[in-house]
Amino acid sequence: MTLAIVLLALLASVWLLAVTEGWTTTGRLRPAAPLLSGLAHLGRESIVPRTPDRVFFETAPVLFLIVAVLGAAVLPLAPTLVIADLATGALFINAALAYVLVAVIMAGWGPNGAYAMIGGWRFLGQLIAYAMLIVMPITAVAMRAESLVTTVIVGSQGSLWNIVYQPLGFMLFFIAAMALAFRAPFDLPIAAGELGGGVDAEYTGVRLAVLRLARLTLVVTLASAITVFYLGGWHGPLLPPWAWSLIKTLAVAVSMLLVGRYLPRIREADLMRWCWTLGIPLALLNIIVVGVLVLVVP
Amino acid sequence: MMSALEQYGLLLGLAIGTGGVVLSLYGLARALGPTRREPGKDVPASSGVLSRDPVWGRYHARYYGYALLFLAFDMEMAFMYPWAVVYKEVGLVALLDMGVFLAILFLGLLYGWSQGALRRQ
Repeated sequence: MTLAIVLLALLASVWLLAVTEGWTTTGRLRPAAPLLSGLAHLGRESIVPRTPDRVFFETAPVLFLIVAVLGAAVLPLAPTLVIADLATGALFINAALAYVLVAVIMAGWGPNGAYAMIGGWRFLGQLIAYAMLIVMPITAVAMRAESLVTTVIVGSQGSLWNIVYQPLGFMLFFIAAMALAFRAPFDLPIAAGELGGGVDAEYTGVRLAVLRLARLTLVVTLASAITVFYLGGWHGPLLPPWAWSLIKTLAVAVSMLLVGRYLPRIREADLMRWCWTLGIPLALLNIIVVGVLVLVVP
Repeated sequence: MMSALEQYGLLLGLAIGTGGVVLSLYGLARALGPTRREPGKDVPASSGVLSRDPVWGRYHARYYGYALLFLAFDMEMAFMYPWAVVYKEVGLVALLDMGVFLAILFLGLLYGWSQGALRRQ
């Protein structure tokens, strides 16, 4: 029962996000568009490029979707509305998100096309930039909650949300999450206009549909993670808990879309330099500040 | 409440189920119509010219300086998670212990920075 509700909420969020994305890019609000475009992809030819690495080529879209769903499985919508309330939830989501890199590199390596391969290697560099900014802020969240269980983490924010308690961690995690989902301005492995689609370039038909679905699911999963770790999860007045979780998740996902629309694509060298010379010192500072706050403030 | 084993079993089932959904989508697409084989259709995007060699050659990873530092930091994060859970319980000692550890690591970052590791080679 819980499983069905959570998966349905995930699917509904993905659909709403796809509608919003279409709305902001084309200027028309068409609720049926994601469904129709998915069906159209099913009807199109799904071409396998010449001399591919077939295993990697076929695994990439499936693996991408699986890790996005697994990440969402440990994030709660309400106190009891969580698929698996793991004792190591905050660690598990890290492990799941690490496989996004594997899927993207496979998608780059598999088709044996130059643009795709460059996109894949670029994402490896991007991981080296953003990965620490995913892991370190979550540590500070766990310090306050004294637990890695995601429901306990939300419970620890009852009096004060983490976005107020550790705003630095929130900002770093938000930026790193956008880089992880390779949304604009961090869409280096796709890079329409310079890589001709990058890791997406050789995928057509139903495989492309799965790849796009996986990427949107990943955005929703990350938005949900931001909600759970920083925005107080299900806490909120009047409305039922699950409604607050969904509202916050969608708000974060849409804000990720909007931020990307007004910024130019960042260069890989700049991304890495800023993440390591500015991001990581700030993340360490965040851990120390939270450490002092946890001990001093009762 | 479920036991840990049941929870991981559920997650495994979820992974297999998701894979099954994708496979049935592939089956549906195949049922709708086959991919017609035509010459030149399967050339990867490279302005219509098939490259002579596979693209899986050696790639100059210009970020290798970062990559080495990344390894050190990634290892350190493995220690941070259990530490974070017991942090409040252990108190000031935990802060000092990890503070010294992080300070040494941060000195490493500063040293690497001064030696030019933090730029594309």
